Amino acid sequence: MVDSEVLHVGIDLGTSRSAISASNGERFVVDSFVGWPVDMVAKKVLKRSVMIGHEAVANRTMLDLHRPLERGLLKEGSDKDVEAVRELLRHLLRLVGVDGNNTSNVRAVVGVPAAALRTNKQYLRNTMKGIVDSLMIVSEPFAVAYGLDALLHTMIIDIGAGTTDFCVMKGRYPTEEDQRTLTIAGDSIDGHLLKIITERYPQANITIFMVRDWKEKHSFVGNPPEKVVVTAPVNGVPTQLDITSEMRAACETLLPPTIETMLDLLSRVEPEFQERVRNNIILSGGGGLIRGLAEALKDALKQVGGGKVKYMNDPVFVGSDGGLALALDAPDSDWEKLSQ
Amino acid sequence: MRAGHIDRVKRRALRQAVTDNVETIRGLPPRGVRAGVRLGRLWLRRVSLIVVPLTLAGSTFLLSKPVVEPMFVVQRAVPRKPGAPVTQQQLMAYEKVDPAALPLSVHRVVIDAGHGGTDPGATLPDLSEKAVTLDIASRLGKLLQQSGFEVITTRADDHLIPLRERAHIANASASDIFVSIHVNSIVDHTNEHGVETYYLGPTRDAKLTRLAAEENRESGYSLGDMRKLLDGIYADARRDESQRLAATVQAQLYGGLRNADPGLQNWGVKRAPFLVLVATEMPAILAEVGCISNEKEVAMLHKPEYRDRIAHALFDGIRAYAIEKR
Repeated sequence: MVDSEVLHVGIDLGTSRSAISASNGERFVVDSFVGWPVDMVAKKVLKRSVMIGHEAVANRTMLDLHRPLERGLLKEGSDKDVEAVRELLRHLLRLVGVDGNNTSNVRAVVGVPAAALRTNKQYLRNTMKGIVDSLMIVSEPFAVAYGLDALLHTMIIDIGAGTTDFCVMKGRYPTEEDQRTLTIAGDSIDGHLLKIITERYPQANITIFMVRDWKEKHSFVGNPPEKVVVTAPVNGVPTQLDITSEMRAACETLLPPTIETMLDLLSRVEPEFQERVRNNIILSGGGGLIRGLAEALKDALKQVGGGKVKYMNDPVFVGSDGGLALALDAPDSDWEKLSQ
Repeated sequence: MRAGHIDRVKRRALRQAVTDNVETIRGLPPRGVRAGVRLGRLWLRRVSLIVVPLTLAGSTFLLSKPVVEPMFVVQRAVPRKPGAPVTQQQLMAYEKVDPAALPLSVHRVVIDAGHGGTDPGATLPDLSEKAVTLDIASRLGKLLQQSGFEVITTRADDHLIPLRERAHIANASASDIFVSIHVNSIVDHTNEHGVETYYLGPTRDAKLTRLAAEENRESGYSLGDMRKLLDGIYADARRDESQRLAATVQAQLYGGLRNADPGLQNWGVKRAPFLVLVATEMPAILAEVGCISNEKEVAMLHKPEYRDRIAHALFDGIRAYAIEKR
């Protein structure tokens, strides 16, 4: 196989969004939604047999809509969800220029939550058969750390939609003891936000998709950077709603478990390295965009001697870029072992 | 110099990532801590050379005296009083045994039919969890015995056996594995039904915490014991083996039932702090073999042939694990 024919890709297969970075320089992110027209009429209107990403969400009323990943893992037992994730992966590969009929030269690194079991990884591997030639599945925070050259004395906190993953990098591939996964993440914030806004404005007609959109634009913890005012139909009339306190309350549900887990993992680091790890905490994933979060974590570190929390400017692609770095660094001999 | 060091670290981590993937492809179990593991395992192997003869010598000495519970004495080098709570010290003593150092096959199986007596578990007017679990446990016991396994049951009739006593029965019998049978009830989602298998571990999932609290209700442990037991959850060396057993049983459970019930969902292998799993000293799992909150499933659970199918699926899982351990 000639190297120039091979395409290396890093994929962050996320519950809410999936990102791909390819060795040809292309990078894309799509919403992890796949939908099929519900009937012939819908198919005729949409003129497509399957829709993916934002397009699928926008046309959801005409689609059998699937979000095939749950807590960062492929939902097991549902053939439709398996097909949905295969469609999503094919779509991501098409975006970076892979011909759907010829995937024989694609080598992919896919990031999964830190707590994924071997059975979960095997299931994903089986699902990806025929889509890529060789596949390496790694813990998502490891991919992030690898891409940032942060493999030693670093803690990665990767806040996605389905899971919040923690990983202390000790200069090796992380073991179970180096990692934690919480299921309190973006989705749980959305659910809580929807609940408390509906409690305050019972007449408002609000969907989880609207709430997710508001959160992505206005999320914060601590002091409000500005008033959060959104528009939603109340008794059919578009109405402005102030949801500042609800946004804060929902986003702050992330803080106690995140702080507790961060401090717990820090306490398990060898004492002589604790200070270095405390000063090298990296926030990634979509949750890293919550304003004030890095500062809140930094405040919490004061109780154990202080530390620094870095916020990634490009948190959406940091996992897929790390996956791509791994894919490019792995020698041919390793890829042969990982052939599908 | 610094760049060279980073490169070395990256190369090593990448090599380990590839190895982890190759092991997954081969279906090998996950390793524990990698760095220092060789020294640790070497130490454990050496220690086992001392511990095993000492255990045998201790057992022989104790067996030579009249004892109330001979099986209890056979099991352990340092016996504790029957009925006494499991202490953290005792739990820690078991943590140090690396399963890889003593590759034993599975001969004796504890089957624990969930609930019983005044604790009916999930209940409908015409069906209770305690009755379903007892029936499946009885069928599973027969299947295992027919295949040459020795079977210990925690309850053979409709009596309440506290979780503490169940763990004591399992530990005193020196069994190789512990399988607790339960039936789920998900009142918020009555249209859903599936199977799932748990092994011991902490969880932050509020639903699992509620489920564990529900199943832990009739534990028989004092608050003081509970604290010590819960501390043990985070440092349990049996976790890898229990996880492997859970994965094998779950695969057979779902595979064996989905044909009979096409709507059945595979909810997978999960971790949760069920007390009956904390206090048992062998690889232990808790299988939720169905959902009593789902109308369709209730109709099936009423049928003896479906309960028999569940027992067969559990049996296949246990047998597959035992074959793997040979």
